[in-house]
Amino acid sequence: MGTPPYRIWEIVSRSDIGEFMEEKEFIKKKLIPGVQSAVKKYEIKYDSTFPVNVDDSIADAVWNAAVEAFLSIGVYNKSTHRVIEFTKEELNEAFLSLTGQYIFGAGKDARPFIARKIEDKTPPFMIYSPDITYDENDHFKACVAYLKEPLLDGICAPILENFFGSKISSHSPTELGGSLMHAMNLREAARLVGKPGIHLVAVGTAEADSSQIHVSNPEYGIRPTDSRLVASIAELETNNEMMNKALHYHQYGCYSGNLAGAIYGGYAGGAEGTAVLQTAYHLMGNLLYSCHYEQNFPFHLKYNSNTGREMLWIVSVYSQAIARNTKMPQTSNGFANAGPGTKMLYYETAAHSIASTVSGANLWEIAPAKNKYHNRATPLECRLAAEIGYGTAMSGMTRKEANRIVNVLLEKYEEDIPEAPIGKTFQEMYDVEKAVPQKEALDQYKEVVSELKNMGVPFPY
Amino acid sequence: MDTKQILINAMKSGEIEKSIELITKVLGEGVSATEIVNSLTRAIREVGDAFEKFDIFLPQMMMASEAMIEIMKVLEPKIKEESSNSEKRSTKIVMATVKGDIHEIGKDIVILLLRANRFDVLDMGGDADSLEIVKTAEREKANLIGLSALMTTTMLGQKEVIEILKKKGLRDKFKVIIGGAPTSQNWADNIGADGWAGDASNAVRAVENLIKIDKGV
Repeated sequence: MGTPPYRIWEIVSRSDIGEFMEEKEFIKKKLIPGVQSAVKKYEIKYDSTFPVNVDDSIADAVWNAAVEAFLSIGVYNKSTHRVIEFTKEELNEAFLSLTGQYIFGAGKDARPFIARKIEDKTPPFMIYSPDITYDENDHFKACVAYLKEPLLDGICAPILENFFGSKISSHSPTELGGSLMHAMNLREAARLVGKPGIHLVAVGTAEADSSQIHVSNPEYGIRPTDSRLVASIAELETNNEMMNKALHYHQYGCYSGNLAGAIYGGYAGGAEGTAVLQTAYHLMGNLLYSCHYEQNFPFHLKYNSNTGREMLWIVSVYSQAIARNTKMPQTSNGFANAGPGTKMLYYETAAHSIASTVSGANLWEIAPAKNKYHNRATPLECRLAAEIGYGTAMSGMTRKEANRIVNVLLEKYEEDIPEAPIGKTFQEMYDVEKAVPQKEALDQYKEVVSELKNMGVPFPY
Repeated sequence: MDTKQILINAMKSGEIEKSIELITKVLGEGVSATEIVNSLTRAIREVGDAFEKFDIFLPQMMMASEAMIEIMKVLEPKIKEESSNSEKRSTKIVMATVKGDIHEIGKDIVILLLRANRFDVLDMGGDADSLEIVKTAEREKANLIGLSALMTTTMLGQKEVIEILKKKGLRDKFKVIIGGAPTSQNWADNIGADGWAGDASNAVRAVENLIKIDKGV
């Protein structure tokens, strides 16, 4: 089974020989016009009645627009102030060389991670990811609580904010220490719940390249059967630190994903430009970083979320563009507005899971409360996303039916997005000692599942 | 539609050349430079409000702001000619995304709106060293320091700048305003910042409020 990288050293060298340009000039002269002209040329139009896109021609237009925009814009390296450019031939070669399937994890816990198709009956690969920081004293138990979840295929863990009682500071020794503590907690928690080989995406505590390199260790840290993320800087930018991470991941021998979130309302403009840009990030991930998969989290500039009507359209349309035109595995990372223990969060989770699954994405769920509040995330909302993801795939749900259900769900929460409730903390929802949900939280979960089933949301059981 | 309104519309659409041409015409019609600036200031505030409501997006807001900045380059000498007492923003702001943080889009939006609202802003970019921010503010004789952070691990940079200001005995010389996704009014209060803004439009209002407080208005 072939895997990337694709011509890494030839592409890395372009950071030093590409066209010199100031960043603001890149944004004004290349990025904004590149996206706008592609949207115009391919006549891409957002239709608010279809939060789940049902039209293949729109998905293909977004793909073609993304290719054209990406090739005309390139990627800006902030460290060298140069534009890294690619050719159509390279794009074709890099995408042809993708196998579209990997085995993530090790031993009995290993499982396939694939490029799903639209309305695919194969359930999505399910990565549980709270994407928020937890108290240091509860971090290990939080890892255990997530890893106990039956439908979990991989975990991108709770993040640490403190290390031995000190606030972790970016690019400092506390970050190196905290990153290792994060990795060790994950490994130990995975072993204790009987899933020692489970796929880890780690570690989110490590911002610096040095911290990522620090945790690469098959014995006590992150293994080659795990995966790591390398971010794109908004929009279509990188720097040498990101390039260092990408190179390290390949030479260490682990899997890697390109972490990319096009900003709705930002340089991309509205829904159309954001969908094109999010699609273009897959090209950047494959060609620049040689990533094995794309980790997508387009988000709303004001709300930091992607469960609103226009955001779900963006999620569905770029997922379909990629699923129809490439073999690149993709994950869809939900960012909800409401916090744990609120019905709103469960409705948002259901809508995001359905829109993503039916459009060909794997799931990476879900960051509650606009990804802003310490301790405010639990495994329960991830469980809901997974169950609905399985239900959506196994029931053979069509995009048309998904669109109908998502419209019903949106009616229940979209007006509350600006002032969404922040909900409860992990400690309020869970018996932390035992790493299980409290009865009240579980009762509410069951009540919501029953309500969603009555609305036509599919569950596997 | 009168010529001044055509100028306002051209500015809002980001048509720089057309705007510059229209200034001469509007002045020729007997409208004072001060009056033009007052109208354009109201108009750019409307652009900021439209962006806040997402009636327009960042590219449109950028174009209008840049047109406003170019227009001001032409009008400022004329305002000086008209009156030595004319209102002019004397506030100088040093803006930076703090140490370890490379996310600049939020800071850049705030800078655009501040400049369009005629504030003098020095942009230190991203990943800015805390001590260097303080030294720059001192050297540039700034009144206000704006600090952005996008990550929980970089928010500490905002606190560090304030601590350095205190240690150097400079805290009273500068107002400090902070912002960024993980920050809050609580965090601002916690670290002793003078202001906090949740988005770009509020940042302009917060800066104006701080200046009023500073001047005892």
